[in-house]
Amino acid sequence: MPFTAWSKIVKDPVTIKDPLNREAAPRYRGFHDNDVDECIGCGTCEAICENEAIDLVPVDGIETKDGDSGLRPKIDYGRCCWCALCVDICTTNSLRLTNEYTWVDTDPDNFRFVPGVDEKDWYEKEDGWRKPVPNYHFYGQERVEMEELPAEARGDSFIEFVKGYSKDQAQQEADRCVECGICIGTCPAHMGIPEYIKTIRNDDMEEGLKILYDTNPLPEICGRICTHKCEDVCSVGINGDPLSIRWLKRYIADQVPSEQYHEILDTQKIFKGDTKIAILGSGPAGLSTAYYLSLLGHNVTIFEKLEKAGGMMRYGIPEYRLPYDQIDKDVDYILSLGVEIKYNTDVDAKMFKKLESDFDAVFISTGLHAGRSTRIPGSDHKHVFQSIDLLRQITAGEEIMVPEKVVIIGGGNVAMDITRSMARLQKIKYGKVQTLATSLESEEEMPADREEVVEAREEGAIIDPGWGPKEIEIVDGKIKGLHVVKVLSVFDEDHRFNPKFDEDNKKFFDADMVVESIGQAPDLSYISDELKEKLELGPRGRYLLNEYNQTSVEWLFAGGDIVVGPDVIHGIADGHKAAVGIDNFLHNKKK
Amino acid sequence: MINKFLGFEPDKSKLPSATAKIGADLDLSSHKYQKIWLGPNHPGVTGNMAIELTVEGNTVVNAKTHVGYLHRGFEKLIERRLYVQGFPTSIRMCVAEPDTNEYLIATCTEQLSGYDKAVPEMAKWLRMLSLEMARLQGLLRGVPGQGGTFALGLGVQWGVYLRDLILDRFEELTGARVYHMYIIPGGVRGLLPDGFKERMEDNLMDIDDFIIRIRKLMFHNSVFKTRAKGLARITPEMVDKYGIVGTNARGCGVKRDVRKDEPYLHYDKLDFDPPTDSDGDIYARTWVRWQELIQTVDLIRQIMAKMPAKGDIKAQMPNVLHWQIPKGETYVRLESGRGEYGMYYVTDGTDKPRRVNLRGPSYTHAIALLEDLLVGADVADVHAIMVSLQTCPPEIER
Amino acid sequence: MNEILDKIKQKYSAEDVKVQRTGLAFVTVNKDVALDAVTWLRDYEGYSHFVMMSCVDWIEDGKFQLLYLLHNPVTKTDVGVKTLINRDNPAMTSGHHLWKQVWTYQRELKEAFGIDFPGSPRVDENFVVEGWVDIPHMRRDFNTKEYSEETYFPRPGRETHDPATYMREQLYPNQPVTAKRKDNDK
Repeated sequence: MPFTAWSKIVKDPVTIKDPLNREAAPRYRGFHDNDVDECIGCGTCEAICENEAIDLVPVDGIETKDGDSGLRPKIDYGRCCWCALCVDICTTNSLRLTNEYTWVDTDPDNFRFVPGVDEKDWYEKEDGWRKPVPNYHFYGQERVEMEELPAEARGDSFIEFVKGYSKDQAQQEADRCVECGICIGTCPAHMGIPEYIKTIRNDDMEEGLKILYDTNPLPEICGRICTHKCEDVCSVGINGDPLSIRWLKRYIADQVPSEQYHEILDTQKIFKGDTKIAILGSGPAGLSTAYYLSLLGHNVTIFEKLEKAGGMMRYGIPEYRLPYDQIDKDVDYILSLGVEIKYNTDVDAKMFKKLESDFDAVFISTGLHAGRSTRIPGSDHKHVFQSIDLLRQITAGEEIMVPEKVVIIGGGNVAMDITRSMARLQKIKYGKVQTLATSLESEEEMPADREEVVEAREEGAIIDPGWGPKEIEIVDGKIKGLHVVKVLSVFDEDHRFNPKFDEDNKKFFDADMVVESIGQAPDLSYISDELKEKLELGPRGRYLLNEYNQTSVEWLFAGGDIVVGPDVIHGIADGHKAAVGIDNFLHNKKK
Repeated sequence: MINKFLGFEPDKSKLPSATAKIGADLDLSSHKYQKIWLGPNHPGVTGNMAIELTVEGNTVVNAKTHVGYLHRGFEKLIERRLYVQGFPTSIRMCVAEPDTNEYLIATCTEQLSGYDKAVPEMAKWLRMLSLEMARLQGLLRGVPGQGGTFALGLGVQWGVYLRDLILDRFEELTGARVYHMYIIPGGVRGLLPDGFKERMEDNLMDIDDFIIRIRKLMFHNSVFKTRAKGLARITPEMVDKYGIVGTNARGCGVKRDVRKDEPYLHYDKLDFDPPTDSDGDIYARTWVRWQELIQTVDLIRQIMAKMPAKGDIKAQMPNVLHWQIPKGETYVRLESGRGEYGMYYVTDGTDKPRRVNLRGPSYTHAIALLEDLLVGADVADVHAIMVSLQTCPPEIER
Repeated sequence: MNEILDKIKQKYSAEDVKVQRTGLAFVTVNKDVALDAVTWLRDYEGYSHFVMMSCVDWIEDGKFQLLYLLHNPVTKTDVGVKTLINRDNPAMTSGHHLWKQVWTYQRELKEAFGIDFPGSPRVDENFVVEGWVDIPHMRRDFNTKEYSEETYFPRPGRETHDPATYMREQLYPNQPVTAKRKDNDK
């Protein structure tokens, strides 16, 4: 044997001195840790696990709430292969692997544990596997941009400016969905969002439309103007842009021509019984109730005060956001199911009493159509308008006053609607925009959707939030402008409305016309005093409803903006619940 | 019963067999032969594999390879999993160089889905680095391991220590020591950690020293020379006949190396020439592998010098949960330490592959070739021959 | 490459010729001439290296697709000769005489897919699954999950929850989530 064999005989041994406490590399894939406060229990870790080692289990002290399923991953170390795909896909980046790799235990059941919840001694270790950087993603992080008309092209007309997704765009956007279903809990109508997004990926619009109509009979409308609370909780949105759920819904509805609706939804022929139900108001709640009641075989009559159906969707929301032909598409389909509608019918107390005897049940969804006034000095001037009245007049095609300078008081979506409508009218009339909107709430607190504010500014309107209106100055019977003072805070510690002002910090907005848009009130004058006494009141002075929107007077159901909201999707959910409630009520009554 | 046409009952055992025979026809009842089972659990057998030997005295007259002790059905398991879930399973198809499996799965899916052009530069270099590191750690075990089959255990101890240092680097880079799970469809799972190159260079210098020592220890060793020279000779004619690849083919002068013939990743940007020898015996194959050890160290140095300093590690790909690949099929090969290592991958338009079939060099080296090479060999040389073919049972049965 | 493909098309009326990438093409030929084509490629066109043999189960078409993948070490190109055989009583001419390792593949395919290669050496011997009694284990209709659940003993005590269903149970058990219908013919 060559002498080389002896060459290391005087060298130190190369073995590790203390093999039990050897620290693994900083990137080592050891045991799991989960930041349970960050985790939302979306279950993508379970979906990607190739060994089915992960279960989602309820955990003490973690509540199920909007945007959090209340479940947390439990890992079975009898199956785990420490590939860390669960970490790489984690939507919240809460899951990680520490670099601890030794664990001795005599009880095999201990090796199934909920990381971050069950006490383990490696959680304080900072090192370990985390999602790699840079640009390492398992699903698209960026939303597919929606094409819109630029501000210059849309500012002087009421045509719809959001173009809608093309097929490629929709499929690309739908691909980003991880199908966790967290959004379903937040959607007031609990629509099957992951399922209908899946139909876009599979390019099966018929199936998609069916899923939409399961919970929402106004998809064209909701696909445009829904407040999309679902997108706020979208798990993809936690580290990236949330899915464009609203635009995807619109995409499905846009793909199917209305002639095919009856065939796809299998409603060429529907069963009709002998029960009769009256619905007051043809807004989203009324239409939704009418739709589901029709499917359940009831005869429905809607009483509508105005000359067209749609309620606030038609008369509140401007055409550039929701074109009238799209409203007609949804509404006409519902009416085609044998729903009778009486236009220009204002139901008063006397008529309401008659409805009670003529119909088996009554559903009221008359909405909030009475504008609230600020009641500041000068607000009784004839050139101080309610936004809701103006919007209705614009829709009805009536001539309204368009002066050179307009000030709008309010920071909600309705205020933005009238701001942008007035800006358009000014642009058409004068070629320039001098519309200003001001609100009590600061920029961050404004209740309007962010994109509404941004788009209004793009179109030339000035949004100057954080000012409290004090007085409308009137000189010679003409409005000169609005005096405002700086708002320090809008809500007190108990989150109650209680604005505080800095009286020294003043401002003056020039105006020829002032529009108030600080909220609306219901008009329930058709409910007689006799009936009112029978109706039990719940907290905050509202009529008490059960889980099916039934009042304490059993034939009377209520829904829509007079109950919750105000928005479309709550109204639709109310309508669906009430329809099931009315069906149950009539079914029980027959027995 | 008398056959009424022939008038007599033919002895069917005398008729020529319809089935062609592999191996010799031996009369075991003659007491001239003895059966010996080598494996499946035997320290001289690589992995779990059995060789059923029929010996006459000390000489092997027939050999049969038996596999199946490691079958876990990985191809089938990958068929039932999403595309992205394939790679953690695939690595176990070859323990010696798991990275090759990851690379094949990733490349097959990328080619069939059209994302092969989208893999970032940085990822390609890192893939190459991890593949060469895998080759290096395989050779650090394999070259001295050949000496081990002739009872030269010392080199193995040196080699395993150095292999452990490479595993330390793997641990830093990939997060695991043996099953790295580093190459993912679309890219890789991490950049080089800080100071990686310096630590790697330290290890490579140790390995440089080892390479010189092992040359003296093995190739200047008369025992090794006497036993390995002329043993289990592969001739160039046998190469295509048996499908011999890699160092086994290069050992007899057939210069085939996928890295050179069909350069993948950035192998065309590296300066190297696959070593060859002409004898085709165990000594020549080991000598080629020893030269390849030098070359691999050099390639790692080249890669570390030429790779970009930073860059993206993964391409923008569709959501892994819904990733569907249109119907198609492909075959991707690479040069592993044991030779051409390939994968036939078929997709059917769904989110899971239709068929994944691995082509491991041991499939032919350890069955058809080994069974023939063993005939006439001494019993004491059996595992030397087996190890010299770089037998890896898990890639045979997957 | 294209020259070879044209020749195979003419000589063996190959269909479904697809160049997957530079240097790799797949052709489908009739079962009767598949081995002829393979032999011709080996002996006349220099495709002397037998890379692998494989099988794909197209269960929906009732076919097995056999693949002979050949490599030309001079031109560095690959041709995959495919042929479809019936899934019922599948059998194929043996090619064990062409290359030494072919019988191993055929033995594996007999076991894994149940394809017979009459005359192939040791074709009936078990390859990797000794004592197997179920249907051939690589066929598509062999359900690995079901098999493992029947054969092994998962430790009890695991349960999981779907986030959406769980949230519904917790937050809005009464909200209707599908449109109920009365039957049309009532």
